[in-house]
Amino acid sequence: MSDIDAGRLVGKAAAPSRRIRFIRPEGQPAASLGSRILGRSWPPLLAVIITLLLWQVVYLSGWRPSYVLPDPATVLQRTGEMVASGKFWQALGTTMFRAAAGFGLALGIGTLIGLVVSFSRTLRAAIGSMITGLQTMPSIAWFPFAILLFGLSESAILFVVILGAAPSIANGIISGIDDVPKALIRTATVLGARGLSLYRYVVVPAALPAYLSGLKQGWAFAWRSLMAGELLVIIASKPSLGVQLQFHREFADTAGLMSVMIIILVLGMLIDGVLSRVSNGVRARRGMGPVS
Amino acid sequence: MRLGTAGTRSRTPAPDATTERSAISLRGVGKDFRSAAGESVALDSVDLDIDAGDFVCLLGQSGCGKSTLLNLIAGLDSPSRGSIDVGGRRVGMMFQDANLFPWLTVRGNIELALRLSGVPAREFGPRVDELLETVRLPRAASMRPHELSGGMRQRVALARTLAQDCSILLMDEPFAALDAITRDAMHDETERIWLERELTIVFVTHNVRESARLGNRVLVMAPDPGRIDSELRIGLQRPRRMEDPGVADRAAELHRRLSGRNEP
Repeated sequence: MSDIDAGRLVGKAAAPSRRIRFIRPEGQPAASLGSRILGRSWPPLLAVIITLLLWQVVYLSGWRPSYVLPDPATVLQRTGEMVASGKFWQALGTTMFRAAAGFGLALGIGTLIGLVVSFSRTLRAAIGSMITGLQTMPSIAWFPFAILLFGLSESAILFVVILGAAPSIANGIISGIDDVPKALIRTATVLGARGLSLYRYVVVPAALPAYLSGLKQGWAFAWRSLMAGELLVIIASKPSLGVQLQFHREFADTAGLMSVMIIILVLGMLIDGVLSRVSNGVRARRGMGPVS
Repeated sequence: MRLGTAGTRSRTPAPDATTERSAISLRGVGKDFRSAAGESVALDSVDLDIDAGDFVCLLGQSGCGKSTLLNLIAGLDSPSRGSIDVGGRRVGMMFQDANLFPWLTVRGNIELALRLSGVPAREFGPRVDELLETVRLPRAASMRPHELSGGMRQRVALARTLAQDCSILLMDEPFAALDAITRDAMHDETERIWLERELTIVFVTHNVRESARLGNRVLVMAPDPGRIDSELRIGLQRPRRMEDPGVADRAAELHRRLSGRNEP
């Protein structure tokens, strides 16, 4: 009788990975790497092309003079020039260092708070809803307070970045732990898991997908807070992407301004993409399928 | 988890004559559940002794307290009244759903059970291989739960439960969600492992034939309030099969008892 299961075992093991979306007829050669990349990336590419086309149409309509709203070709050329300059990389370095430090600290603080709150019923009652409240608070509203507390300094920026990101991260882990299936807890209890070992081996790993979703959201908040901070808290000796935005606006250099905006957008998407990859990988290994 | 005022659940051997040979001993065990509608008696007063190495099926419709009784023996819940004694034996439990941990491979699932039982890590490798051999899934170690069929998942759940080296195995409708062919195969495996490992099994089911196929004793349970209504000793030779005439006879008798109760 076990042959039936064994047969399935072989069948399953040999079955194609679920990531392959289209079914290839027997005997045809596999799609080449190039065409597979093209197959996956044409929808976003098309979206970019359509955006550029619309932009071009608006430009050609003469709605705004060209020194206020330049055409895509000019802006993209400026972006290229900017990326080639050393000053840009210095600014990028400052911004990315702040992003890494702020998000890293938020990660540590948010995770710790999330774990402690989910562990203690009293703490949950005390600050559970406050964490959600903080999440809805626009981070820019914190800046006047942060500037009074820390002056126009790195600390003021980091403070707000952490306040922006940590609640999402804490909420991710709290809701993840809340949603661990009771059946898994019962099974683990029968297997002898108690207290800390139950947390370490079952509750925390089970909450991982929700935690990663929280990280993604936390990153989005951190990035927004950081850009707001760099516009408001300008430190003269430190060129940053935010300072460049301000600088280009003051000189009414829309092409330069839009170039920096494109860089900010692309950077945010890149990091989100990395987090999504990790998150989808974790989900796929559990048979949960990717979330888009 | 809070113990009921009168209810106790002891893992130490009690100086009681009956517990000498009983693996599981229940005295006046009752369980009440509180809900919005008020208090309801899930289980009335259950007295039960199960010998070491016996195979007992709890049969009954839903709501008669079968699962409640099993949870009490497992220690997942504490009784409102009475006492439960398992004589310090290790108790393993399986559910209708395999409840494998989806972030771990098959090997990881079994290793976790070993780890939680205090087995040193260097013994994990050979122990997992041996357990997978026992449940006849020798090549599945590196697979993930979602890649397995329902029957394979229950085999892994069985291996994981056996990893605890339990002598009492509680099974709560473990094969109810499987197709008939896979279920028959799992019956054979359960019977074989029960004999090889000299386990004491308490098996909850609402399937009359399954209880006659597997059990030495079938305890017929009744609802309102949940209680053990009657007992049938199967007394058929093993190995048995679902379609054996003897099994069919006993199943018919159990059917009569289950439905007879509803007539005046």
